[in-house]
Amino acid sequence: MKESNGVHTINQGLESGSKAGYSNKIFTLRPRLSPAEKGSRLFFLICAILAMGQMFLIMVFLFKEASGLFISKPGSPALSLVDFLGRNDWYPTYPDATFGALALVAGSISVALFSTFLATPVGLGLAAYLSCVASQRRRELFKPMVELLASVPSVILGLVGMAVLAPFLQQALNIPTGLNLFNASVILAIMAIPTIASLAEDALSAVPRDIQDASYALGATCWETIWRVILPSAMGGLATAVILGLGRALGETMVVLMVAGGAAQIPNSLFDSVRPLTATLAAEMGEAAIGGRHYQALFALGAVLFLTTLAFNLLAWHLSRRWRGAR
Amino acid sequence: MVKPPAISARSVSFYYGEFQALRDINLEIAKDEITALIGPSGCGKSTFLKLLNRMNDFVPGARLSGEIIIGGVNVYGPQADPVEIRRKVGMVFQKPNPFPKSIYDNICYGPRLVGVKKKSALDEVVEKALKAAALWDDVKDKLNKSAFELSGGQQQRVCIARALALEPDILLMDEPTSALDPIATAKVEEWIKQSKLSIVIVTHNMQQAARISHGTAFFYMGELIEFAPTLTLFTSPKESRTENYITGRFG
Ligand SMILES: Nc1ncnc2c1ncn2[C@@H]1O[C@H](COP(=O)(O)OP(=O)(O)OP(=O)(O)O)[C@@H](O)[C@H]1O
Ligand SMILES: [Mg+2]
Repeated sequence: MKESNGVHTINQGLESGSKAGYSNKIFTLRPRLSPAEKGSRLFFLICAILAMGQMFLIMVFLFKEASGLFISKPGSPALSLVDFLGRNDWYPTYPDATFGALALVAGSISVALFSTFLATPVGLGLAAYLSCVASQRRRELFKPMVELLASVPSVILGLVGMAVLAPFLQQALNIPTGLNLFNASVILAIMAIPTIASLAEDALSAVPRDIQDASYALGATCWETIWRVILPSAMGGLATAVILGLGRALGETMVVLMVAGGAAQIPNSLFDSVRPLTATLAAEMGEAAIGGRHYQALFALGAVLFLTTLAFNLLAWHLSRRWRGAR
Repeated sequence: MVKPPAISARSVSFYYGEFQALRDINLEIAKDEITALIGPSGCGKSTFLKLLNRMNDFVPGARLSGEIIIGGVNVYGPQADPVEIRRKVGMVFQKPNPFPKSIYDNICYGPRLVGVKKKSALDEVVEKALKAAALWDDVKDKLNKSAFELSGGQQQRVCIARALALEPDILLMDEPTSALDPIATAKVEEWIKQSKLSIVIVTHNMQQAARISHGTAFFYMGELIEFAPTLTLFTSPKESRTENYITGRFG
């Protein structure tokens, strides 16, 4: 709106200026940039290009290194994408090495989904509490605390998982190891809760005050207003929050490396050990010979991860844009 | 026989934190009549209006002294339930604020809250409320369209219908036509004039107050300066401040 107004006045200025010969009027309407301003614009443009270029280069690099696995060469038969993602035989260091990554993919997906399942109600509940129930004072106290929680290094949460949660699970449930899918999901959920809560709180606060007032004025209680007005209007933002939380859980490495148990198997229960993609990459990259098939396979895993998180982020972006348009 | 007043405010003072927005207001609002609140910007009209259905409860640090009696009960008494009060005392806001839902769901919002579920009952409520707000003919074929697809005037009438769906005893309107064009304004005014409700309307438009209201209250800097039958207030105000305001000398 504002921009189009601006353009409009500029055009008017140009027309009337050229008609009447007041050429100086044009300059008052569209000030000339000083060299310093021009310079800083150029600087920001370069920054933007660098950031984009870097992203692009990472992608090219990933795919280039990974591609060797899928192209047949003397001494290394090509692996099909279907075998890579669909077979469960990740034996990268055997003499007859096989690279079926299904168990790793299953590990990633199970941990990400279960942790999101745990974190979503808590994160959304916390957001609802912060934006609708808490007094001004409590909100001012809690919101920064939630955001602070997001900055706890994941390795510390991993330590908690190893030293506290794992022995507890092992004893309480009498299972062989406390380092498993459940443990990793709980710790990842703790990590994702601040992300989800903070983004969701933003989404809830962005719901126009006047429709909340309308709801109260019709005799709705606070909870009825949350359920019937605020939640539906904030749905896009909330979905975005959850998806970004999911993306975060998918990409998180340190926690799963420490507490997921590391067994490359398709889990049958919540208390099986798993080995997500990220943990595999971090654990095995140091040992893989550069340029070898194992190395290529790990890059292929990286590419899968990259594309998945990219897809999630695009989806989140798309959702938040679409809902904003609908409002 | 004299009807009891719809609303009586007794020595009402109201504070936003340290700031006193209303000073010792005493006002009896007649039943089934239209009462206009006028006064310069910031004098406390909206504040007073929102006190009547407890919409100021949400303002942190707000305080009130005095009583507001509606239907024989002190709205701020220990027994009073704000939810109950807001159902009896409907409100229409300055800016049309329909929910981002269909027209039908907008109207049904209040009734659904009180537990009306049956489709046939809801259909009836919707038709009645929309007819009452003079909107039925405009929208009867597009009840399932989003209320956002209507014009501003139609949206405001959806908001009126939405409030009417709860069959309130009293309707509060805060500058309900300030966002509307003359034609839509005329429609809303027409509706107000023929309705049989007790209506309290805030307006900056003195012609509007003169056209539609029975009684007019003039507020100035948090005080109620003068309250009289509309004709009297506009033709022979007692207070010089009222006269200055209505003749446009300040405000
Ligand atoms: N939420 C609030 N917190 C603090 N002060 C407020 C708040 N709302 C209103 N006020 C103050 O109270 C006074 C009365 O405000 P109010 O909105 O009732 O005025 P009004 O008569 O409705 O004005 P207008 O005609 O501009 O709508 C103003 O001085 C305003 O600054
Ligand atoms: Mg006002």
